[in-house]
Amino acid sequence: MASLSYRTALKIARHEMRASSGKFFFVVLSIAIGVGALTGVRGFSSSFRSALLDRARSIMAADLSARMFQQPTPEEQKGLDAIGAESVQMTPVTELLSMASAAKTLDPLLVSLKAVDPKMYPFYGEVELQPAGKLSDVLHDDTVVVADDLLVRLRLNVGDSLKVGNRIFRIAAVVVNEPDRLSGNFAAGPRVFISREGLDASGLLAPGSHAGQRYLFRVPKPENGAPISEAAVANLKERLEKLLPEAQVIDYRETNPALTQGLDRATSLLSLMSLVALVLGAVGVAMAMRAHLEQRLDTIAIMKAIGAGSGEIIRIYLIQTLMLGLLGAVLGIALGTGVQVAFPYVLGRMLNVPTSVHLQVRTILTGLATGVLTTLLFTLPPLLDIRSVRPVLIFRRAVEESADPFVTAFFRKLSKNLAQIVAVALILGGLAAIATTLSDSVTVGQVFSVGLVAVLAVLLAACAALLASLRWFLSRTRLRLPSALRHGLANLYRPGNPSAALLAAVGMGVMQITAVFLVQQAVVSELHISSAPNLPNVFMIDITSDEIAGVRALLKAQSAVTADPELLPVVSSRIIAIDGVPASQARLKNFPRRMLQTISLTSFSAPPTGTTVTDGEWWSAGETRPLVAIGRRTAERLGVKVGSKITFAAQDAQITATVAALTKADGQHTYARAEFILPPAVLKGLPVVWYGGVHVDPNRVGEVQRALYKSYPTITVINVAQALEAVRSVVIQITYVIQFLAAFSVFAGIVILASAIAGTRYRRIREVVVLKTLGATRARIGTVFSVEFAVLGLVAGVVGVGFANLIARALLGRMTVPYRFHFSWTLGALLATAAITVFTGWAASYRVLGQKPLEVLREE
Amino acid sequence: MYMNLSRVRAGGQVTEATAVIVVEGLRKSIRNGARTVDILKGIDFEVPRGQFVAIMGSSGSGKSTLLGLLAGLDTPTAGEVRLNGTAISYLPEDKLAKVRGRTVGFVFQSYQLVPTLTALENVLLPYELNADGDVDAGLRRARELLTNVGLGDRMDHYPVQLSGGEQQRVALARAFILRPPIVLADEPTGNLDTVNGSHVLELLLNLNRSEGTTLVLVTHDPMLADYADRRIVLRDGLVISDELTPKKAEELVR
Repeated sequence: MASLSYRTALKIARHEMRASSGKFFFVVLSIAIGVGALTGVRGFSSSFRSALLDRARSIMAADLSARMFQQPTPEEQKGLDAIGAESVQMTPVTELLSMASAAKTLDPLLVSLKAVDPKMYPFYGEVELQPAGKLSDVLHDDTVVVADDLLVRLRLNVGDSLKVGNRIFRIAAVVVNEPDRLSGNFAAGPRVFISREGLDASGLLAPGSHAGQRYLFRVPKPENGAPISEAAVANLKERLEKLLPEAQVIDYRETNPALTQGLDRATSLLSLMSLVALVLGAVGVAMAMRAHLEQRLDTIAIMKAIGAGSGEIIRIYLIQTLMLGLLGAVLGIALGTGVQVAFPYVLGRMLNVPTSVHLQVRTILTGLATGVLTTLLFTLPPLLDIRSVRPVLIFRRAVEESADPFVTAFFRKLSKNLAQIVAVALILGGLAAIATTLSDSVTVGQVFSVGLVAVLAVLLAACAALLASLRWFLSRTRLRLPSALRHGLANLYRPGNPSAALLAAVGMGVMQITAVFLVQQAVVSELHISSAPNLPNVFMIDITSDEIAGVRALLKAQSAVTADPELLPVVSSRIIAIDGVPASQARLKNFPRRMLQTISLTSFSAPPTGTTVTDGEWWSAGETRPLVAIGRRTAERLGVKVGSKITFAAQDAQITATVAALTKADGQHTYARAEFILPPAVLKGLPVVWYGGVHVDPNRVGEVQRALYKSYPTITVINVAQALEAVRSVVIQITYVIQFLAAFSVFAGIVILASAIAGTRYRRIREVVVLKTLGATRARIGTVFSVEFAVLGLVAGVVGVGFANLIARALLGRMTVPYRFHFSWTLGALLATAAITVFTGWAASYRVLGQKPLEVLREE
Repeated sequence: MYMNLSRVRAGGQVTEATAVIVVEGLRKSIRNGARTVDILKGIDFEVPRGQFVAIMGSSGSGKSTLLGLLAGLDTPTAGEVRLNGTAISYLPEDKLAKVRGRTVGFVFQSYQLVPTLTALENVLLPYELNADGDVDAGLRRARELLTNVGLGDRMDHYPVQLSGGEQQRVALARAFILRPPIVLADEPTGNLDTVNGSHVLELLLNLNRSEGTTLVLVTHDPMLADYADRRIVLRDGLVISDELTPKKAEELVR
């Protein structure tokens, strides 16, 4: 017979869709929910992420900074000029200590000068001024902008003159906050901003002056409004590290350890959630298509029986499923986008995260592709299968020979149908490609895809095992069990029934949701530690051993001080040899050689708060041997390992210490400054100065500063409270965003699972009718379904929650967040799964239960 | 004219006390979009205990709807059905289920076995749903019935593993397990070939006779209707003839 034209196929497909629009609507809705969740989570996470990264950039004022310890060589300067000539913007920042004096009184004061180009600096963030204004408007070659502290000490006002070096500058404004406070030197004196021309004119920058030089870089923003590519930042960083081997190059994520951690973990988690949304969306689409095809089988059989060729049938249903997939995907994208556009207005206010919604074409295309590909993935193989099936077999769905319908049928299909395998492989490849591009974090991508395959395999095995054991159990005890229970259990094992697939889908969904929850909880509780309100934000330098008791007492008496001070003894020394190699010849990596001359040694008998041993072993109390614990990164730069020997010189003593342990500090405590820790007995007798950190209410730092100045004028106090508050607020925002998105993912996941379960209701209608005709009450039928759903939920829950714990453990391990097993959460997740499956099962069957049997029979 | 015919009551001597099924002024309309379709337009008849009634009529005459209303599977628009003296038509759903379970055995054209239960369990199901007696007695009866319909060796098979004729025989056993006073059958042989069909019919009549049940059977097969004690013919929702037939059923049951 003449083959069916695509137009006719389309007409038939459309007609069929219109004829039973109710059922098709449900399919489209399920697809839409899946794709909507994917688009929504993706869109949210990328908007929030770029908002957070913008905040992080403003803490450094740039994308990258290179800190130099000497003037660049002509060759290096040439390289820098070359970079500056490209689209990358570059501006130098010079910081130095200098004396300044009031032009009239000539009272001198040690100030920390910061010379910037106000036309360029800062690339991100704002220099807050009093009176409010822009730095570029007030800072000229004859003006300075100074800290309030300076005005107080020199009794000056805005508009007065200040002598810096051999020039006189007008004070144009007061600086309240500067964005890159944390990445500069900890300044000992009040801040004075000066223009580069002003600095040159002051004559302070004589050769040999101890000026700290930093270059700030800004990577160009893509014109289409997309966030700055992270690869571009990474490339530039690599290039700078090569060009300036002695410089410390850091990117905007690295200004503060809490920030770095927060951003890294947020990235991992958001990328995990995107993948989860992808898989959950796919599960939603898959279950919808499965239920749909099951219903179409009869129609297909009829068409075959009246002489339609396989090709024609495949054509009709391919067009139909594609139309459903597209319709659902478009609806889902609209849904996801709508949510994404509507929520930030509320959330931006609630979470105080400024989010600019830029609808990304990539996100939309991903959603569309996922919807259509998943639809194809779950419809093409069964459709292709039609070719080899005789109509009568479709009618009867014979499964006599099959003990394990799902798995064996799967393998039988594999061995029989090359076309199907190719189709499945192609589609899976497409989905894998989407997943790869979705994952911003390689770790998450790896753990996730390995986990996914493992989970699928185990879930299928578990389902097969469960069904087999159920069968065995039923065949033993069948007639002795209460009949409602037996009937419910029997419903899980129906020959040729897709409950294995449903079980796998629900298990998968539960795994994903629980994994997101567990990882989110662990990460958030870690971030809470690093954004704890009592971390040191005011530092004290040069406390003598005689003063230390007094300082402690004074701080304790201050009500603005909210935590015990963290004090550490410091012995100045230098490194003269590493493993016997003189310091001048040691192989160093990104460690300026002259820094070997200023090494601070401290002593503790146990690891201080916030410091953990990563390699080797800490010494026991009372240790007298010369041992040393070194910060991991410093050890790497120095090229030493546990067992290496480092020779320190302090005063006229030489200590050759064996590296006993490598440590990692959380960066939140003053003790993190201790890169070289030795047992107290070893440093005994050497001259010690103390270094301290304390948490002060950020709004009351002035009182504490004044009190300390009054009693101990020689102690230098460094206030980074404002800058740390900025970091803390970003970290807290990260936790909000993570929690919000996790909640959204969990919610979307539950909706998808619920709709997958609800999708099974059509096949229950007939059963309800038969049972009613035989005299079953609604309560009885409800009990049967409850047993079925509860067992389904429990089994899926056990496998899913179990795997979620494994995955959370693996992921958290990679993210160096401690994993803890929470029995109550696990049990809760398990019961919640069972409750949700029973509830949705009920909700979906409720209408069916109330229907008059004849209405249903008449429809047939 | 039809109205007159419908008033002719076959077996008019039947009294209320012996009538197992009483149908009075039964009407059923369903809304189909904007318009209302009257499927049954007022049906009255009574069936005495033990009688075998065939309801006939062409497609769309309302015979399946009538049977459904007899079983309480739907609510009539007007009128009443009384089974064994109980008015069932307006009972709440769950009470109705109980009455249905104890009073009526139902045989569908398309078997309607529960796919997840074995043949034995399918037969046992009404017993478990309705009987108060012990399971062992029910099991004995279920096995006996399955053996009677020739499926003694297929008790543990699932419905998909059985042929159509076998499935319908399981359905027969299921309909009779509680010894219901009434068995209703909706084209029980409609889906079967001649050989299987007559086998099922034979079994149905045998069971009907040995259990002493009242049997109402919907069919459009005049041959089958010939075996009935009484034929009620419907057309367009009205009874157009209701007459007793010569006892041919005896001949079939050997």
